[in-house]
Amino acid sequence: MFFRVVDKERLPDLIAGLSSDHEVIGPIEKDGRFVFAPISDPSQIRLDYDTTLLPPKKWLMPPEETMMHFNCADEEVTDDTVVASPRVLFGLHPCDINSLLLLDNVFLQGHVDPYYKARRDNTLIVGMSCTPSPTCFCNVWDTDEVHWGFDIFLTDLGDRYYASLRTVKGAEVLDRHVDSRAVTEKDTADFQQVVHEFKQGFSNNVDTAQLPVLLDAKFDSPVWDDFGSECLSCGACSMVCPTCYCFDVKDRLEVDQKSGARVRTWDSCQFKEFAAVAHGQNFREDRSSRLKYRYYHKYWGYLSKFERVLCVGCGRCTLACPSGISPVKVIEALQAGGSR
Amino acid sequence: MNDIRVDECACDGVGNAYRPWPARITSIQDLTEKEKLFELRLIDPEVREAFKFHAGQFAEISIFGVGEAPISISSAPSKQGFIELCVRNTGDVTGALHKKQCGDIVGLRGPLGRGFPFEQMKGNDILLVAGGLGIAPLKSLINHIHDERHEFGKVTIMYGAKNPGEVLFRHQFDMWKHREDFDLMLTVDESDDTWDGPVGVVTKLFDQVDVDPDCTYGAICGPPVMYKYVIEEMRKKNMDVDKIYMSFERRMKCGIGKCGHCGVGHQYACIDGPVFSYWEAMNLQEAI
Repeated sequence: MFFRVVDKERLPDLIAGLSSDHEVIGPIEKDGRFVFAPISDPSQIRLDYDTTLLPPKKWLMPPEETMMHFNCADEEVTDDTVVASPRVLFGLHPCDINSLLLLDNVFLQGHVDPYYKARRDNTLIVGMSCTPSPTCFCNVWDTDEVHWGFDIFLTDLGDRYYASLRTVKGAEVLDRHVDSRAVTEKDTADFQQVVHEFKQGFSNNVDTAQLPVLLDAKFDSPVWDDFGSECLSCGACSMVCPTCYCFDVKDRLEVDQKSGARVRTWDSCQFKEFAAVAHGQNFREDRSSRLKYRYYHKYWGYLSKFERVLCVGCGRCTLACPSGISPVKVIEALQAGGSR
Repeated sequence: MNDIRVDECACDGVGNAYRPWPARITSIQDLTEKEKLFELRLIDPEVREAFKFHAGQFAEISIFGVGEAPISISSAPSKQGFIELCVRNTGDVTGALHKKQCGDIVGLRGPLGRGFPFEQMKGNDILLVAGGLGIAPLKSLINHIHDERHEFGKVTIMYGAKNPGEVLFRHQFDMWKHREDFDLMLTVDESDDTWDGPVGVVTKLFDQVDVDPDCTYGAICGPPVMYKYVIEEMRKKNMDVDKIYMSFERRMKCGIGKCGHCGVGHQYACIDGPVFSYWEAMNLQEAI
């Protein structure tokens, strides 16, 4: 990887430049919180954001998308294409860039998901350093750092950015749109200092030792009933999770009843019908088994396949849960031998 | 702007795995009041040629406007060009399929999942235990063993149904009763005057068989409640945990390990199964 330094006041040039041939998506303020939304004016962007309501997955796997159009008469697919316009996700924090790498494992390995791939291939990613908030626990999964999965990563050094250039495209757009200069020893020393302070900023130091073992060994622990009795099965945790990828597929008919579209929408393992099969059997009927499954899959199921947990410690689920359930609390309860 | 379209994006040469292909219904047999056996033929010759499957795998059947349902394949891989699906009328998709006529077209996607380890099973005795509709995936295995019968030792089939009216493939099994190369044992929970065979749950049949645990593979499929009891009987016969295979029904929706609906323990039934060994199943929480 190589590096350049960009003065802070020059950053709008990069956003404006990218806007000329990309749709730029970045963090903006909305009702006192932040959301990733299309940027029409570089001054809208709020690079001091803590976290966004919805994660960036929304721009790679939309909450609802048409997979194909069909004709009922001959059961023929008439169109299974998606058009993905060039897009930039601007200002993603390391946790969110890491979340996309976890989604890549699911959608780009084995049978490739063509809808995700089309968008992913046409998305440029500009990362941005952040400040730990009280709900962040990316530090426990080492997702507070990111070394690939982006084109440019900007570390805020106060008056300037330390720009890590990961891809040819990243280097090319930086060169084209903004004045930058070579890195000096002082820049790198300042970068180290910023990283050092960043690492000191985390307040959640959860013990994740042997988590997969604990999940199996304590599968019947009352911990799950405790949390399950508080869980409302609202699915908010899954919707705001940058790594939850489950979806449902439905057919929608046109008024003529002869043609229609197959549509997929975000789904959650917390919903009652999620694991129900045709003749009445439901493999996870009660809330505690569904809550347990979510943790079990994140911290063991996914890990068993891809050697990483399916969580980047962004803390969105903690903020979204109406019952105040958080992964930090759940893991601590498991570590504590069932007492909370 | 350089738009990318799905049909232009390179997907390892496999195309869009979510896209069903038109298949013509070439035959429909009424098996019971609730189940029909559909024989399908994929219309596109290239797609048909590429549809090579193993016993125990499944396919997603599509009725556009209604949806998709995962159905295990009942025909043997050795029967090429046609795919048989034994379908119970139990949901929206299967209900719509049951209304289709011979010659109608439906959508088909597959083959999907991991089937029985047929090659590994060769040279051994086979003990198949089916309950109810569980005979459907095992039928593929039975038919494949039948087609390569010389490769196997003793083959025992135990099949239990609720009542004689619900015995699937009864006509074929009646013809097999007197065959010496298959030890076929049928039982029903509740008898009627058309039945002269054993009455009782399928596990009762274990008293009548001798099993050589060193060279016997087991294959089980049935309602979720059945597995525990059948495994208990197989373990009593000293069969190894890694020689007992079973197929699980879960909500396979995408069939390719993406949508998350068929999670069983730390695995997905659609890509890691639906066939698991008992050793694997023991390690899957909530599987049995």
